[in-house]
Amino acid sequence: MVTGTADVGEVPFAQKLGTWARSVVSNQQFMLLVALAALVTYFTARAPVFLSSGEIANILADFCSIILLAVGETFVIASGGIDLSVGSAASLAGVIGALAMRGLVNSHQNEALVLFVGTVVCAGLGLCIGLVNAALINWARLVPFVATLAMLGGAGGLSIVLTNGQPIGLDPRAISYTVAKLGPFSYPAFMVIALVVVAWLLLHFTRYGRYTFAIGSDAFAARAAGINVRRHVTSVYALSGLLAGLTGMFIYMRLGSGAPTAGQGDELQAIAAVVIGGASLMGGVGRLSGTVLGALIINVVTSGLIITNVQANWDQVAVALLIAVAATMQALRPARRR
Amino acid sequence: MKEVHTSGARGPRRKLAILTTGLALASLFGAVGTAAPAGASSLRPAVAKKLVIAYNMGAEADPFFIAMNIGAQAEANKLGVTLIWQGDPSFYSPSTQIPIVDELLAEHPSGLIISPTDPNALQPVVNQAIAEGIPVSNVDTHVTDLSKVLTFITGNNTQGGAVAADAMAKAMHYTAGKTYQVVVGASSATSTTNTSRLAGFKAEIAKKYAGIKIMAEAYSESQPAVANTNVNNWLTKYPNLKGIFAIDGTNAAGAAAAIQARGLVGKVALVGYDAYANNVALLQKGIFAALIAQQPALEGQLELKYMAQYLRTHSTKGIPHLLTLPNIVLTPSTPAAIVTKYTYPTA
Repeated sequence: MVTGTADVGEVPFAQKLGTWARSVVSNQQFMLLVALAALVTYFTARAPVFLSSGEIANILADFCSIILLAVGETFVIASGGIDLSVGSAASLAGVIGALAMRGLVNSHQNEALVLFVGTVVCAGLGLCIGLVNAALINWARLVPFVATLAMLGGAGGLSIVLTNGQPIGLDPRAISYTVAKLGPFSYPAFMVIALVVVAWLLLHFTRYGRYTFAIGSDAFAARAAGINVRRHVTSVYALSGLLAGLTGMFIYMRLGSGAPTAGQGDELQAIAAVVIGGASLMGGVGRLSGTVLGALIINVVTSGLIITNVQANWDQVAVALLIAVAATMQALRPARRR
Repeated sequence: MKEVHTSGARGPRRKLAILTTGLALASLFGAVGTAAPAGASSLRPAVAKKLVIAYNMGAEADPFFIAMNIGAQAEANKLGVTLIWQGDPSFYSPSTQIPIVDELLAEHPSGLIISPTDPNALQPVVNQAIAEGIPVSNVDTHVTDLSKVLTFITGNNTQGGAVAADAMAKAMHYTAGKTYQVVVGASSATSTTNTSRLAGFKAEIAKKYAGIKIMAEAYSESQPAVANTNVNNWLTKYPNLKGIFAIDGTNAAGAAAAIQARGLVGKVALVGYDAYANNVALLQKGIFAALIAQQPALEGQLELKYMAQYLRTHSTKGIPHLLTLPNIVLTPSTPAAIVTKYTYPTA
């Protein structure tokens, strides 16, 4: 506390240092970077292969499988909602996309055409799922948790019914596209990263993003300020569904088939990435860069534990700890920054 | 088929329920009265009631259990038995399985056939069913105490693990004196099929192949993408990896994608489990060095047959307490007719 009689040359420096230290520690992005660096250092020290291009490519492939779900989830959570259906939506989109592509693959069509059709079908289906979620929330007046929980069961069940539990399609050419071509990056990974950058610009530098946060902070005030809340919420869930559909396509390419259980349960990973990244489940707060770091940390932990031969179940414990620490940091943050 | 519970019904519905129940009872006694042979000392309505057999598997979506359902349903139709087929859609876990078994027991089926996802965790519900007079059989996996279980039918998983080791050694052109690094992808640390296969695999290696070293084991929780991640990481960590034993269908799918992505087909001997149609197609392309097939449809058929037989005769005569069906090794050179025979049916 600065008093009126304090020496202006001495005390403010100590105070500045203290304020600086406090702001650094309470800066979740910075702390996430520190945590990421510490994890990478630790795993590399235990198994030097962890920092190889091949291993970075592995982490990147896993990262791409959940980051789009997490990005969609960031928009939804920032707007004060939650989308539990993203994993099942990815699963159903992947299966329907695989059914659509199967005929083309069997007739030896150009692989680029096959994948283009698959991408359009997956994205379209994801979009439809998002719109149904929005309709349940806006018009049937269900709370987002319940609406998307219903969709989680519906989409997940349907993907099993449609496939009889069997993976659909056999597309080794699709797998070849997911091989790292430029350093650890594959072509689909570039596309995923480009989408994340676009989403980042959308959330933090456009009116659309500001409306999203405004609705998440106080939907009533947002409506009073002239924002069409219903339309905006619809677009947010549609975006989340669309990105889930694209995730379904990415997983299809990884496995060379649409597996009905692939993606199911990944909504929890996506929500974990968003929470670790510093978003508040109350809405109105969130950084996409935080979500990216959160997802990276989760994938680094998963791969690191495999590389160091630690029993797989510790993975869940580690992610749970990260969530607890991130949520605590958020609770301790000064109110103005929340 | 669910029983009608009328206790909570009120007003017209209640009257209707009483009327229906009354009519049902009247027709039941009428039927028994006419059908029972003259001189029968006691009337046993249960004999005339259609048998309802509840069947609870690990994960309904697993093509292994789908094939089992096809075998069981065909037998149920043949025997005139009602089959309730109920399980968690996709999670192979005791925490999701136990509530479903509780639900099934609340319906008071004539008999219960169950694949426990954990031998200890499912023991109490099995005990409870037996205490309520509902005979219990196990299929594929079993509870710890099999003494009161009517029958346990499974693939011979230990033998399956052993033949997997032989198939892998053959595909790697195993030569004594050389070292071969291999890994094992499993789904669960506690499922008895997984542990038996792994035990058989390890025992065969210890007995015959001193040069094969198992470097790591991991679990995929029935998620192909997780299995894929595990194998990707192993291939980075062990650049000289020579073999992968994918202990079930989902691990097989994840591992197959990983070795294709890295162009390691033919260089890493991938031995998978379960003849899913997709896995069989990959076998025929040479991506799998071998595939171990079980006989799920036959397991389902025999389970139904023995349970119905016991419920009708109240005798265990002719019912084996433990029946293990051999696992079959399929390789890219196996004749097509045999491969087709052991491919799991889907419809």
